[in-house]
Amino acid sequence: MNHDHDDLDDLDRMLAALPLEEPPAGLHARIMAATTLRPEPAFRGWEVWLVGVLFAVAAWLTWIVATIPRASERIVDTLLRAIDHSGLDSEYTLLWLAIGASAAWWISQLSVPASLRERLRIR
Amino acid sequence: MGLALAVELPPVEAPVVDDQALIIATLAGQTDAFGELVRRYERAVYNLALRTLHDRTEAEDATQEAFLKAYRALNSFRPGAKFSTWIFTICYRGCCDRLAKRKRLSGDELPDRADPSAGPEALAERNDEARRLRAAIDALPEKYRTVVTLYHLQGKQYEEIASVLNLPLGTVKTHLFRAKEQLRKALSV
Repeated sequence: MNHDHDDLDDLDRMLAALPLEEPPAGLHARIMAATTLRPEPAFRGWEVWLVGVLFAVAAWLTWIVATIPRASERIVDTLLRAIDHSGLDSEYTLLWLAIGASAAWWISQLSVPASLRERLRIR
Repeated sequence: MGLALAVELPPVEAPVVDDQALIIATLAGQTDAFGELVRRYERAVYNLALRTLHDRTEAEDATQEAFLKAYRALNSFRPGAKFSTWIFTICYRGCCDRLAKRKRLSGDELPDRADPSAGPEALAERNDEARRLRAAIDALPEKYRTVVTLYHLQGKQYEEIASVLNLPLGTVKTHLFRAKEQLRKALSV
């Protein structure tokens, strides 16, 4: 619905004629500097988190190995037991894992046409 | 013999690109396209922030923040929607957050902050129509001032105002009616 012009009175005309105030001179440059002209960060947020977590885990493991006697042997034992329990030593499990990884890689290589992407995005 | 013809051609105007095309171009990495969007709406967004916040410095910051948020969320902009409504909504929400922060910091409900540029001399100069009208709009309660700003100063439609302010259509019409009544009284129109 647009403005009703039939009930325009003096106030409406005054309002319509009121000019907008000019923004400060440097505002456009400031907005552009904060958006499109801003340099890309070297790392994305999730990359920084991932590297941080990996470093923390590595430091934790190093500290365990350095302070607890025979820690490395116990860690290896624990890992081997976990592999036994999960069935990763079975040829069939490994085969299915390989099929799953191949399928995931193949799907990641598929390209979707732009028109279909747009339709999916609208939905 | 040379024949000199002085033909005055009309100036060639560049075709006006719509907002949707500018958004697509921005997403494709064309920085100029976003610059054009900013150019189109910075004045309106700044005026909305200024009328809502009553503070030029804060209005400038709120305008920059609104465009920054829009730029970061441009991927999520729904095709077919109006960019103006979207950017006004972002700006208005940012202004509401700033007003809420002001109230929190003061510990009490404060009247709207006075415009620092409106000193005694500036107020004395408000004798012409536009200045009187601006002063009257500034004196309105915030909810009325924003509706008047969106409706009259930026040519918005009722539905868009309702969308920006997240208010029912009827409330927008009521606010506008009451705001105009107060303005009429203040201006004796």
